[in-house]
Amino acid sequence: MEKKQQVKRMALRDTTGDKIFYTINAIVLGILALIVLYPLYFIVIAAISDPDAVLAGDVVLYPVRITMEGFAKIMERKDVWLGYRNTIFYTVLTVILSIIVTVPAGWALSRKTLPGKKAFMIYFIIPMFFGGGLIPFYNVMSSLGLVNTIWAIVLPAILSVWNLFMTKTFFESSIPDTLIEAATIDGAGSFRIFGEVVLPLSKAIIAVMALYYAVGQWNSYFNAMIFLQNENLYPLQLVLKEILIASESTVGGSGETILQQYRLANQLKYVSVIVSSVPVLLLYPFVQKYFAQGVMIGSLKG
Amino acid sequence: MEANAKRLPLKRERAPKKKMTKEKRVRYFKDNSPYLLMILPAVLVVFLFNYLPIYGVLIAFQDFMPGDKILSDSTLWVGFQNFERFFSDPQFWPLMKNTFLICIIGFVIGFPLPIIVSLMLNAMKGKKTAKVLQTIFNGPHFISLVVLVGMLTLFFGRYGLVNNIAAHFGGERYSYFLESKAFRPMYILSSNWQDFGWSAIIYIAALSNVDPQQHEAAILDGATRFQRVMHVDLPAIMPMVSVMLIMSIGGLMGVGYEKALLMQTDGNLAVSELISTYVYKRGLTGVPDQAYATAIGLFNSIINVVLLIIANTTSKKFSENSLW
Amino acid sequence: MKKWLVLILAALLLVTAVGCGGGGSNKTADKQESAGVEKLVEEYGFQWKDTAAPILNEKGAKELSFSIYSSKNASALDYNDMKIMQDLFASTNVFVSWENVSESVYSQQKNLIFGNADNRPDAIYHAGMGAGEIIKYAKRKVILPISDYLEYMPNFSKILEERPDIKNQLINVEDGKIYSLPRIEEMGLLQNPNILFLNKNWTKAAIDAGAVSGLTEADLKDGINLTCDQMQALLTYFRDNDMNGNGNASDERPLSFVYNNWQGNQCDLYGMFGLNDNLEHRIILDGKVTYTVQDERFKEATNFLAGWVKENLIDKVSFELSQDNFLANGKGLETYGAFYWWESETVVSNPENYIVCNPIVGPHGDQTLCISNNPEVGAGEVIIFADCPNVEVLLAYFDRYYDPLISAQINYGPIGIVYEEQLDEKGMLVQKPLPEGITADELRLQNAPLGIIYLSDYAWNNVVNMEPRAKLRLERLTAFATPFMPKGAQPCPNLQFTLDELNTLSNYETNLNDYIRTNLIRWLLNGGVSDAEWETFQKDLNGKCNIGGIQKVYQDAFDRYMSK
Repeated sequence: MEKKQQVKRMALRDTTGDKIFYTINAIVLGILALIVLYPLYFIVIAAISDPDAVLAGDVVLYPVRITMEGFAKIMERKDVWLGYRNTIFYTVLTVILSIIVTVPAGWALSRKTLPGKKAFMIYFIIPMFFGGGLIPFYNVMSSLGLVNTIWAIVLPAILSVWNLFMTKTFFESSIPDTLIEAATIDGAGSFRIFGEVVLPLSKAIIAVMALYYAVGQWNSYFNAMIFLQNENLYPLQLVLKEILIASESTVGGSGETILQQYRLANQLKYVSVIVSSVPVLLLYPFVQKYFAQGVMIGSLKG
Repeated sequence: MEANAKRLPLKRERAPKKKMTKEKRVRYFKDNSPYLLMILPAVLVVFLFNYLPIYGVLIAFQDFMPGDKILSDSTLWVGFQNFERFFSDPQFWPLMKNTFLICIIGFVIGFPLPIIVSLMLNAMKGKKTAKVLQTIFNGPHFISLVVLVGMLTLFFGRYGLVNNIAAHFGGERYSYFLESKAFRPMYILSSNWQDFGWSAIIYIAALSNVDPQQHEAAILDGATRFQRVMHVDLPAIMPMVSVMLIMSIGGLMGVGYEKALLMQTDGNLAVSELISTYVYKRGLTGVPDQAYATAIGLFNSIINVVLLIIANTTSKKFSENSLW
Repeated sequence: MKKWLVLILAALLLVTAVGCGGGGSNKTADKQESAGVEKLVEEYGFQWKDTAAPILNEKGAKELSFSIYSSKNASALDYNDMKIMQDLFASTNVFVSWENVSESVYSQQKNLIFGNADNRPDAIYHAGMGAGEIIKYAKRKVILPISDYLEYMPNFSKILEERPDIKNQLINVEDGKIYSLPRIEEMGLLQNPNILFLNKNWTKAAIDAGAVSGLTEADLKDGINLTCDQMQALLTYFRDNDMNGNGNASDERPLSFVYNNWQGNQCDLYGMFGLNDNLEHRIILDGKVTYTVQDERFKEATNFLAGWVKENLIDKVSFELSQDNFLANGKGLETYGAFYWWESETVVSNPENYIVCNPIVGPHGDQTLCISNNPEVGAGEVIIFADCPNVEVLLAYFDRYYDPLISAQINYGPIGIVYEEQLDEKGMLVQKPLPEGITADELRLQNAPLGIIYLSDYAWNNVVNMEPRAKLRLERLTAFATPFMPKGAQPCPNLQFTLDELNTLSNYETNLNDYIRTNLIRWLLNGGVSDAEWETFQKDLNGKCNIGGIQKVYQDAFDRYMSK
């Protein structure tokens, strides 16, 4: 009790050194924020400005000749909304499956007594470097009967070795061995320990993994492009990409049409970024909640 | 230091050596089989989608067109011909140099940046502001490559923002896109700008699990805020840093062609022609050659593996963290 | 623990609920059996000689079908829904089912289609096959040697007979056969991709100010002849003065182009020194494959132009900007004094103020212009897979596309939507008035699949009118460009190479191009090239770049092309 009060009193008085530290810290972060913010802001005003003005470099601090044509062109299309629906579905599915696959595996890898641990590590590392290329991958998917199904997009995405290793490291450094030992002594089996001790402490890493996998799937389009023939299954990114490329296609157009298309294409680029990223950006604050400082460890120690 | 010792094991515990009796081994297996079960789905996924297609690397040793069978009597094996062709190309060393420089400089700047930023955000006084900043820093990650390069053109083109400001103050206009000197900084810094916020997330998450009691103890010992960062926060994320370091080094030479191709002009060709852009261009003219591209990809992979092994061994020697 | 169990169960439920629908489906129906030609004639009424009559009878229309894979323009309807396709079915009784994807998807799918040996379509339309690809696939007997079936294609055979130049652009050197169907659209527009446009009002102001000698106001019309000194004086005047009246004397762009772009590029300027340069710097002069960069005059030209760049008479931004920027900058405030482009209407908002110039007359009196190698014959447009059943019928069907009347519809749109049913007094197709709310091009792109066509002079004179924009350009070129093309100079046509030659090209050409480009731009932007540097350049061209070897490859191919 006394100690706590003592700490509190000391924390209230920052030393000059500390004040300087906080100030410099804030300034540097502030500058960084400006460097990041301005281009993001630019994207927003470019998306609603006249494309000629954008290309000519007239758009600097505020939109010029505001036009919502780009947004209208994109939002009026049924396939964009369908793409949203599809992507949300694929993302949710991917996140659920990937957490189920990645988190336990990360835990297992973090255990020193995992039989064949070294072999498993090497097993997971090798594919990070060696890949067969698109054609064998396609053939495998085809043999598995996954072509033109949503599984072609979801299943390959549910394990990323990077994420796996991050999870493993997190467990190694954030879950104290003493805790596990104590639980083992109490007679708990490995599964129970995982479910009742580890998982409640892993909110931060699960949140991060969910975020990384979600965004990974949200932003992806390549597998969809290769494996999906049914346009109704297209994810958002693919739809947007198609719209963009379509507006850049110059086959058979006269000068006017080509010009029109260029103008639209340039505006659509910026609109696409906004349309595809705003939903996910809004997701981050929810994830942040799980990064609360030291709540887990403290509460358990008591 | 003291605080750390309590958290990390005092020495690396290895799994018990194989010299066990059969009973002990069976026991060991049974005790730890839950872990095997936990890791099984991951093993399966990787097997299906990564290992099965790996036989495609054999294309590097063949005269291959799509439609050819990779493993059959009719495949045309050419041994190391594709590799020889690549090594004897007069562009080989310039390409290697350009690719290597972009990768290594990008890494040297880009690796520490998220770490530093995560530490700084964590050390901020205003927690709410820190959270807002985190969200802002995530923004660049979502910008597509085409938009990024488009913005670079608008900002750094001859009549772009930067030049207009310079001209306004009486300076000379500088053709950023036409000068070799400007290519790497623009390429690398824009990549770093795009990634640092997103890469910082994992460090921020790791920092969130730092025991606040350690900070309290440090304060009691009279540590300044800065010292607390260096001696409590930083060591706490060291394991994560090590793993990310090793994996990043392992992926060092793997840079794609799209961004460099979009930024390429005649003026900066000497530095902007990378292995990936070169292969891409050659694939568009003359004879399209899957095998050649695969061979180069394989070569790249081998370099990356070597780098990875070096990184892992070094990390084992100097710290307690390594991948295996 | 409970929470997680629930989640896992939910996931499994989802998985089973969704996963049961839509297993992997095969792309096309099982391939039909190939009937012999006799059976086709007997049972399905197969005939190919009369190009106006159906190819098959009713039975054939029902029982035979072909699947064709094709990329399509995003604005286009699904080819199965296009009127021209339905018209073709009605007139031939050949049922074709199209599978369309976007161009970007196709570029990725192409290899996969070839890779999937068990499940290929019958043919690929808009195939975009390169010469090397065709040779390699032909060797592996994956694609059909169309030339073996020419008897079933009367229209196409006629073209090959009448036009040996086209024939020679299609024949695979290795075995003398033709493996792809071409696209032939001869408008005579591609050879000269640049026209020099000059700002009339600005020039008038310059004349009035006495800044340029030898010009009067009366000269200010299309076809104006300028010497390089006059042009230089004009550009200098544009640079120094506030021509567009906005109070800022430094935002005028004297001369602009888009460096190394396929249209509106800088190559015409080299015509001031008698060089017919183009983007590959390769041209045929009197039957010999010549590289302009090996000509001494090229050095002179480079130095001269570098001088203009140094003086800011050529806007430096021309070297780094893209088409879009170039076009966007021309709108709004008038900043272009002179520029090179395909046409003026798309560049500036006031094209009536810009006049067409003859090629600029150089310091030694040379007056010529760029001759580009852009081919009007696109080989590799359609390929047919060797295992396509009843391929004779498919070829007879495709042959119909080469009838000029059908070609016009394939290229611009069908009768009934784009063209009137009634022909005009000359017997040519007449465009229908545009419906509300759609531009001519949107209508065209929606209804015309483009692809294998044969539109040559005959077509333009007898079957269909050229679009007005194309006509205008042709007029301009005929008056202000063609007269300045030297007799012995011609573009390098679409040549066919042996596999070895292709390998040589692929090994050296990228390097050669990179080397030339890096040096050229350096010289143009930094004051020119010294004699010593030029010497080194020539040495390297012949040495490490192997320009001699590359030139020999082209020469051999060209000689083969000419000899037939």
